[in-house]
Amino acid sequence: MNDNEKDIVIELKNAWKIFGERASEAMAAVESEGIGKAEVLEQYGAVVGIADCSFSVRRGEIFCIMGLSGSGKSTLVRHVNRLIEPTSGEIYLLGEDVMKLSPTALREMRAKRIGMVFQHMALLPHRSVRDNVAYPLEIRGESKSRRWDVSQHSLSLVGLDGFEDRFPRELSGGMQQRVGLARALASDPDVLLMDEPFSALDPLIRRQLQDQFMALSDQLHKTTLFITHDLDEAIRLGTRIAIMKDGRIVQIGTPEEIVTNPADDYVRDFVQNISKLKLVFAHTIQTPISEYKPVDGEDLSQSPRVSQDVDLDYLIDVATNTTQPTVTTDESGNDVGVVSKDRLLQGIRDGK
Amino acid sequence: MAENSQPDVTKDIPKIDLSDSIREFSGQNSDYYVDTLSQIQATGENLNLWNKAALLCGPAWCAARGLWNLFWLFTIAELVALVQLGKGIWGDLGASKMAEAEQLTKRAHDLRLEAGVAGVTGDESAESSAEIAMNLEKAAELAIQQAQAAASTWWLYLIAGIVLYVVLRYVLGKFANRLYELQYSAWRLNKKIASGFSMQRLTIALVILVILVPLTLYRFTVSSPVEWLVDVPVDNAYYTNSANALEGWFDRTAEAGKGVFDGITAGAQSVLDAMELLLVDAPWPVVAVFLVVIAWRVASIRVAIFTAASLCYIGFLGLWEASMVSIVLVGAAAFFCILIGIPLGIWFSRSEKAYAVARPVLDLMQTIPPFVYLIPIIAFFGTGRVPGILATIIFAMPPVIRLTALGLRQVPSTVVEAAVAFGATKWRILVGVELPLATPAIMTGVNQTILMSLSMVVIASLIGAKGLGQEVLTALQYVAKGQGILAGLAILFCAMMLDRIVQGRFQRQEDQ
Repeated sequence: MNDNEKDIVIELKNAWKIFGERASEAMAAVESEGIGKAEVLEQYGAVVGIADCSFSVRRGEIFCIMGLSGSGKSTLVRHVNRLIEPTSGEIYLLGEDVMKLSPTALREMRAKRIGMVFQHMALLPHRSVRDNVAYPLEIRGESKSRRWDVSQHSLSLVGLDGFEDRFPRELSGGMQQRVGLARALASDPDVLLMDEPFSALDPLIRRQLQDQFMALSDQLHKTTLFITHDLDEAIRLGTRIAIMKDGRIVQIGTPEEIVTNPADDYVRDFVQNISKLKLVFAHTIQTPISEYKPVDGEDLSQSPRVSQDVDLDYLIDVATNTTQPTVTTDESGNDVGVVSKDRLLQGIRDGK
Repeated sequence: MAENSQPDVTKDIPKIDLSDSIREFSGQNSDYYVDTLSQIQATGENLNLWNKAALLCGPAWCAARGLWNLFWLFTIAELVALVQLGKGIWGDLGASKMAEAEQLTKRAHDLRLEAGVAGVTGDESAESSAEIAMNLEKAAELAIQQAQAAASTWWLYLIAGIVLYVVLRYVLGKFANRLYELQYSAWRLNKKIASGFSMQRLTIALVILVILVPLTLYRFTVSSPVEWLVDVPVDNAYYTNSANALEGWFDRTAEAGKGVFDGITAGAQSVLDAMELLLVDAPWPVVAVFLVVIAWRVASIRVAIFTAASLCYIGFLGLWEASMVSIVLVGAAAFFCILIGIPLGIWFSRSEKAYAVARPVLDLMQTIPPFVYLIPIIAFFGTGRVPGILATIIFAMPPVIRLTALGLRQVPSTVVEAAVAFGATKWRILVGVELPLATPAIMTGVNQTILMSLSMVVIASLIGAKGLGQEVLTALQYVAKGQGILAGLAILFCAMMLDRIVQGRFQRQEDQ
């Protein structure tokens, strides 16, 4: 448990954000009387941005926050570097209490520890691509040669060699967003905050950038808080996913947990049309070998054997080449379960 | 044919029923309005729909239904019609001519008396006096004739009044429902817009009409209305006392703030002297080459050619020194405008309150006639170039302040947020992000400031600032048309030169 705590990079505890002139009164009423979002709006004319959000992100993890427009996900991510001040709650980054930082210390943390990517790129139009990428280093007061070296390296990471001396407006949307990513990586931060970075791009480019980002992430292992409104994207990228609705986090879990075990109807609606083939594994749907009763003509000794950790996609490939049910094995090769074709079809449909 | 054509999908769309909402909107007499407004909406044509209430009650209907703009429009128009009617019925149409005739007769009578006296004493003027008196009598007779002719046209006024009144009511009755339908559509979007029939509004309208109509009719139709209706009945002392108080205040302030005013004068003077040394005192070929090279390096070769041509014009017409003095004046004024204006603009872009206070002041600076503030400036700073510059600054600074504030407000918040997220300080964001992104707006402000400064050189010359303004002023005094136009063109060329050089710098940055 202790090791785990050390490994936690970002942690939010009971964070609330209420917008409006009477936010603090509304917050007090929320704490004492437990009034809801509608009452806050009615009685205090204040809007609840995020309500009682708690989560923690472990080192190297890509933590996706997924929600629809207005669910508070962009507000939530801005609490981590205090672009938005919470009305109440605690925020820790690398074990430090972000709320207690002085303005100078906060700026230093933003400059050294955090890289951020924005939905609308937010590049400086009057600066070259190189100077945009080097901007965080310039703020930190690095020398010019260092800035040039780092920005060159950072641009090559995102595959934009040779574009240093262009202006952002000369680049396509996808390339501009890669500049945004390079800028976030330039200060070699511990944490990446990505606020819907790919949402404004067309689907093909989005897919490309997702792949590139995953490759980069495998290489750099940056702890990432990734905001998206696209569940497919969250499932593709996320180590874990938090689903937000009306400012609250309704479920946190691995993609598999979210898909196979949605916490409520809201999440269930979302995951309904998600393909389960890559998310559900044999051990979820297998029948223990002791309970399995072979039907006529079945001979488990003739069955193909696969690890119980393969996904449904793989199971389908195996099952199409045989008339027998598939037998699953554990790490040491012992038979542990059976997946019949009926069970496989049911798994594809329900995800469990 | 029919099978190939698209099916008419609009045919099956169910009609929306607005009658409840129209009922809510119209209040009293709602059935009538549900019916008429629906018809208007259904056909969109100008139906033959008479609104009897509007036809009979006119402006009062408009007010009761909350159509205040229409109320004022028709009140004033109907007043015009009523005044014509009044003039026709009881107005004394020949009154002014009659009064003229009376005066002429009286003057003639006096002259006759004089002539009589002169005749007795044997003065030579007797004859001429008699002659003038005769002419005057003739004129008086003519005036009486005209008065009678005017008085006989009473029926024209009567008819005009009646026709205008009837037409107005016809128009209102005809279009009242259509206008009311527009009000309904607006009300659907904004429920604060007046709706229904209100006794309160009707009462207000009637009170207004009761006050307005008799007073106006009286004023326009009676030949000599009582004095207090013609001019506001106040004592002249208010004006003189206020003016005296202000004058005293100016005198005291000028005395008390002598040190401050002298300091400002000295500061402005030193900038002026430095620029004068450069442009006026230096030999003209050096200055000419200097200006052309600056135009070329800072802007472009085209601007340099334009500058050279302008300088030739100025040089050949012998306006060189006057032009350089004016450029120094404008340059110094623009320098101070930018120096003070941009920081103020930055402040106003940050603080909504400060801007709210400053906005009327800026309006004042731009709209007050310069002659008004020339007086206190002379009181505080005397005459000469420095007060000329100060007057120019007052007039020319608002654009650079406004456009700096505007430009900074228009910087995308996302870019500023990104800079904050990377740990930039406020100062760094201002210098590195906001000001560069606001540059186009700021440069437009600088451009306006320079052009407005040059338009002030003539006025500044009134209080002793020399230069092209003085040339124009002299030309004005002696009605020397040619001289005035030549000097005026020189002002134009100076303005364009300065502006192109400053803008050129910025445009080149843009092109990169």
